[in-house]
Amino acid sequence: MSEFEKEEKLKAQLEDKFGGAISDMIIQRKDRVWFEIKAEQLVELMNFMKTGMGFNRVSTITGVDEGEKLGAFYHLTDENGIVTVRAKTPRTDPHLPTITGVFPGAEPYERELADMFGIKIDGLKPGRRYPLPDDFPTDQYPLRKDWKVGDAYPEEKTSPATEAK
Amino acid sequence: MTKMTIPLGPQHPALKEPVNFSLVLEGEQITGSTVNLGYNHRGIEKAAESRTYLQDIYLLERVCGICSHSHTTCYLTCVEEIAKAEVPERAKAIRTIVAELERIHSHLLWLGIAGYEMGFETLFMYSWRDREQVLDCLELVSGNRVHYAMNTIGGVRRDITPEQKTEILRRVSILEERTKYYIKLGTEEATVLARTQNVGLLPHDVAMNLGTIGPTGRASGIKCDVRKHEPYLLYGKLDFKEITHDTNDVFGRLVVRVLELVESYKIIRQVLNYLPDGPIAVKVPAKIGPGEATNRYEAPRGEDIHYVKANGTDKPERVKVRAPTMANYVAVPYMLNSGYLADAPMTIAAIDPCMSCTDRAMVYDTKKNKVRIYGWDDLRKLGIEHYKKRGVDFSKL
Repeated sequence: MSEFEKEEKLKAQLEDKFGGAISDMIIQRKDRVWFEIKAEQLVELMNFMKTGMGFNRVSTITGVDEGEKLGAFYHLTDENGIVTVRAKTPRTDPHLPTITGVFPGAEPYERELADMFGIKIDGLKPGRRYPLPDDFPTDQYPLRKDWKVGDAYPEEKTSPATEAK
Repeated sequence: MTKMTIPLGPQHPALKEPVNFSLVLEGEQITGSTVNLGYNHRGIEKAAESRTYLQDIYLLERVCGICSHSHTTCYLTCVEEIAKAEVPERAKAIRTIVAELERIHSHLLWLGIAGYEMGFETLFMYSWRDREQVLDCLELVSGNRVHYAMNTIGGVRRDITPEQKTEILRRVSILEERTKYYIKLGTEEATVLARTQNVGLLPHDVAMNLGTIGPTGRASGIKCDVRKHEPYLLYGKLDFKEITHDTNDVFGRLVVRVLELVESYKIIRQVLNYLPDGPIAVKVPAKIGPGEATNRYEAPRGEDIHYVKANGTDKPERVKVRAPTMANYVAVPYMLNSGYLADAPMTIAAIDPCMSCTDRAMVYDTKKNKVRIYGWDDLRKLGIEHYKKRGVDFSKL
């Protein structure tokens, strides 16, 4: 048996169930698996991961600006390891389905994706924005790579540069 | 009875953290609640992208005043994994010692806050006095009480000398003695029981569903101690117990934290007696990657998770930080509902949201154009002189 028995088993089960929807599966090391899923099957996958594979928590969702596409990395955890599920959506019209139906604890992380990256989360119940202030411009997304501090608060353009020397 | 909605926070005398709760009340009973976060957003993740890996240690240490070592260690495990740096055993041991001292510091602080919130101020005074012992240990090792600045890429910045080892062991014994008293007090004292039992209930399945972590989760019977299940640093080699409790209430959270103190003392003793010889850091190139890593760390409040993406330059492409309190806030509305308004501060405090403190003064003399830093002894001397001029002599205290 290989060194990564548990991880190989997970990989086989997922490929068996989701087939072509899954790509770029990497077993990085023990207890670390990464793969990409098509956005349409995200909720179905999350359901399977929770009920079938015993991953009972989304520890956090990392938003990543990859240029043409915006990525959301769902870090699912069980007792022993982290499986990172990547979902990608085009920058021009970013949409992802909510996973709060499966993992209610993911709500603040999804709001963060919406606020910081401008990814529209379909099905997320209405509520206050998080983490940006209520008066922050709604068409600016600070964690996108093309965003600079002065975009939202022009007066800060004159403040000392924080770039590393 | 008519329903009334009241705001609690973000600025409120009974709440030390900038967070807002909307509570729907029927008389004294809470029937609904929502939590609003984001009052303390500082844009650290964006700032981290424009700094070098080394500068980010300084930045991430300031995510939280109490978990300062937790965040840098978690971030560095990711960076070192991408850079394929092999951290020396001695550095890992020193990181473990500081991590456990930090946990003791945080849990004792929480115990004080809990005492304060339940109206048992003697407990607050006692546990904060004892907390000075562990703060002195941290100061002895790192030179600082709050931001220890022990970590660097590839290891730690300061070594632990045999004298420091003896001193830490001496103070740990004092704390162990005191903790025995707190365990007795926490489980037998009528005030504590009356104010904590059946308050802020969070059943096991709800906690599981909402992803509750740390001592809050363990008090609902969830086995979620990262140190045990996915050992990092030296935890895989150490003998300690994972503490869980099954009462699902504030009392359980108190018991879990107090018993974890005992485990931390055990860990510190084991690591100090094991402390292998060797270097305390390895050299790591400034340019790292490309690559990505994600790692977990058991901070005093629960699981801390970091994601780092490197692009081959000296600055990270993306750093994601998820602090434990964030995960636990989701469960607070559930704990508040059907409880009483008077229990709200206690329930909120029971997840241990953060607070920070500092105790150094820097004085800038405009005439001499010089900065003078006052340490504890200087401040004490100044205080005694100040009162002496007014006819009170404190010098014998």
